[in-house]
Amino acid sequence: MKAVRDSLFERRLLVVAGKGGVGKTTIACALGLVAAQLGKRTLIAEVDGAGRAADLLGATAGEIGKARPVRDSLSVMSVDGSAALAEYLELIVPVKRVLQAVLSSRVYQYFVAAAPGLKELMTIGKIWYEAERIDETTGERSWDIVILDAPATGHSLQYLGMPHAAHEVFRSGLVGRDSQRLVDLLTDPQRTAINLVTTAEEMPVNETLEMYQRIREELHMPLGWLFVNRTHHAPFADTELERLEQRLATLHDARARAVAQEVLNRAREEAGWTAINRTYVERLAREVEMPSVDVPFSFAEEFGAEQVRAIARTIEGAVAATARRGKKHGRA
Amino acid sequence: MAGLENILNRYRVIICAGSGGVGKTTTAASIAVRAALSGKRTIVMTIDPAKRLANALGVQTLGNVGSAVIDDSIPGGKLSAMMLDQKGAWDELVERHAPSPEIRDRILQNNFYQHLSQSFAGSQEYMAIEQLCELHASKAYDLIVVDTPPTRHALDFLEAPQRIADFLDRRVVKWFVRPYFSASWATMRFVNRTVGFLFRRLEDATGISALVEVSEFFTAMSGLFEGFEPRVRRVYQLLRSSETAFVLVASPDEQVLMEAEYFCRQVHELNMSLRAVVFNRVHREMAGGRQGLQADEVTGLMAQLLGDPGLAQRFADNFDRYETLGRGDGLRMEAFRRQLRKDVPVVEVPNFNSDVHSLAGLQAMHPFLFAA
Repeated sequence: MKAVRDSLFERRLLVVAGKGGVGKTTIACALGLVAAQLGKRTLIAEVDGAGRAADLLGATAGEIGKARPVRDSLSVMSVDGSAALAEYLELIVPVKRVLQAVLSSRVYQYFVAAAPGLKELMTIGKIWYEAERIDETTGERSWDIVILDAPATGHSLQYLGMPHAAHEVFRSGLVGRDSQRLVDLLTDPQRTAINLVTTAEEMPVNETLEMYQRIREELHMPLGWLFVNRTHHAPFADTELERLEQRLATLHDARARAVAQEVLNRAREEAGWTAINRTYVERLAREVEMPSVDVPFSFAEEFGAEQVRAIARTIEGAVAATARRGKKHGRA
Repeated sequence: MAGLENILNRYRVIICAGSGGVGKTTTAASIAVRAALSGKRTIVMTIDPAKRLANALGVQTLGNVGSAVIDDSIPGGKLSAMMLDQKGAWDELVERHAPSPEIRDRILQNNFYQHLSQSFAGSQEYMAIEQLCELHASKAYDLIVVDTPPTRHALDFLEAPQRIADFLDRRVVKWFVRPYFSASWATMRFVNRTVGFLFRRLEDATGISALVEVSEFFTAMSGLFEGFEPRVRRVYQLLRSSETAFVLVASPDEQVLMEAEYFCRQVHELNMSLRAVVFNRVHREMAGGRQGLQADEVTGLMAQLLGDPGLAQRFADNFDRYETLGRGDGLRMEAFRRQLRKDVPVVEVPNFNSDVHSLAGLQAMHPFLFAA
């Protein structure tokens, strides 16, 4: 029997998807750190992310479409559809001179600009290529795990759905066959897991639920983990807040009173967020059948590599704990 | 500084732009409520409000028609809201602009269109802007407040009309609209080796039947191009007119601010005018630097007040964590402000710890948005 922890990090493609602004890139980076820690050769692929992933790992971004090592066993790459198409053509058009003529022709440029879905298809194609790629010198896979930091919700589904759409349109021919391979990878629970990131608030949760349904029912792709990001856990009870409020009135010194009032306001703010988060965490638990990781809000002046490392430790702990529970209950 | 008050009075169109997840919808709705309260006939065009906000605005059903918001707190008939249909934007564009029912059906039933229309860039953004132009031309409202679609890049919204125009560009389309097996193709292949090569490859890659469908699709679409460019020009005229103000909605998050800076530069380059910046979800350090008290003094004060050192420590630690957040937010916003023109007002809305989903909630934002 295989534990959940092992099965997640034994898949070849981990997609990280969710609404804009919920912290997908952060979670993708933290997952990358965990995978690298487990000794997996890991690539984090960022779609039109402007090098934010490298930034969060304390490195500088590399050239588009090229892997940039950021630490042992961990590299990042920015993926762009048009660049990936040029690379793809390089594979099917072996003669450099002809290829150059094609790439620089106006017809080609118009075609790339106009062809709907081509950019998305090529992006997923590039991810597939990296996930399946064999290193010529060693004869081994270049990467054990590719982590895809997908664009925001609506777009993620567009990207993930494109191979199927392309296959439907171009059933015969090379594009049809290649698209089918992408669909095979994306729908294979042995190789792929679609992970969702959300915050425990109304809008992101609504979008997450919608995405969850569509991935299950329309795209038929295997789901991985749900990451509930930036949760608040107020370290005090309502009775304790009331106690502070009552005592506050007894303070006569204006300065002390102003500070104490602020202490109370901040405590209330934290308690308020805690209550909101709890409501939506419960809703997610009711409606989403995915193992989940609670990622606490990070109170930092600046969010950077140190905070990402802390989140990686949280994920590692949560995944390990679930694996232990899974073993006990005999779940795979 | 009067916050956004001047903007309400000076412009007829306010466009709230910004990257996803920063509170654009709520901000747009709040601005509209304020305008309606001041007696202006106002409409807010919203894209994807939270369910309860949609209920509050009375737009729980999808539809591209404005409906009056009925609420005791709003003067009768002053506030309307409309929610754009996100899903069928291309279908609607085709329905609206197809020169004949036959062409419309040919496009809608095309296999290529059916599978790929969702990925044609910018239809939703374009429809929003076209809707805006119609509302503006109707003169039924004194003020139109626009919430822009949730895109990663705020700029996508502005570029959508141009991108669609490019997509429908004759020079591009002419390659696709020729009947696929026509003589002109044969000539073209013969004359132009690159084209010949490219299309032989395309045939291998896609299968000939698919290419025929693509060609048919573009032939049918070509009917939509008539008059499309003038429409796009009109759209940009309105976006650049002196009646239109852009309000950038942002949060003090590093990544959001990077996007925001880029947006400011681009808006300027496109000759559109950024008239205000709204920061949502702002944490601030306590004014007066916690009254000169050190962190351990705060803990001491709490202990003295509560008589419970453990609880005192928890309160003090929480306070300290929020001060840290506030310091970071303050520094980032300050750096952003330095790059902004001095005459662009910047307002800050605190991080409300309740979801804003009622007209009362929207009004709670007013003291911050319109602070005197």
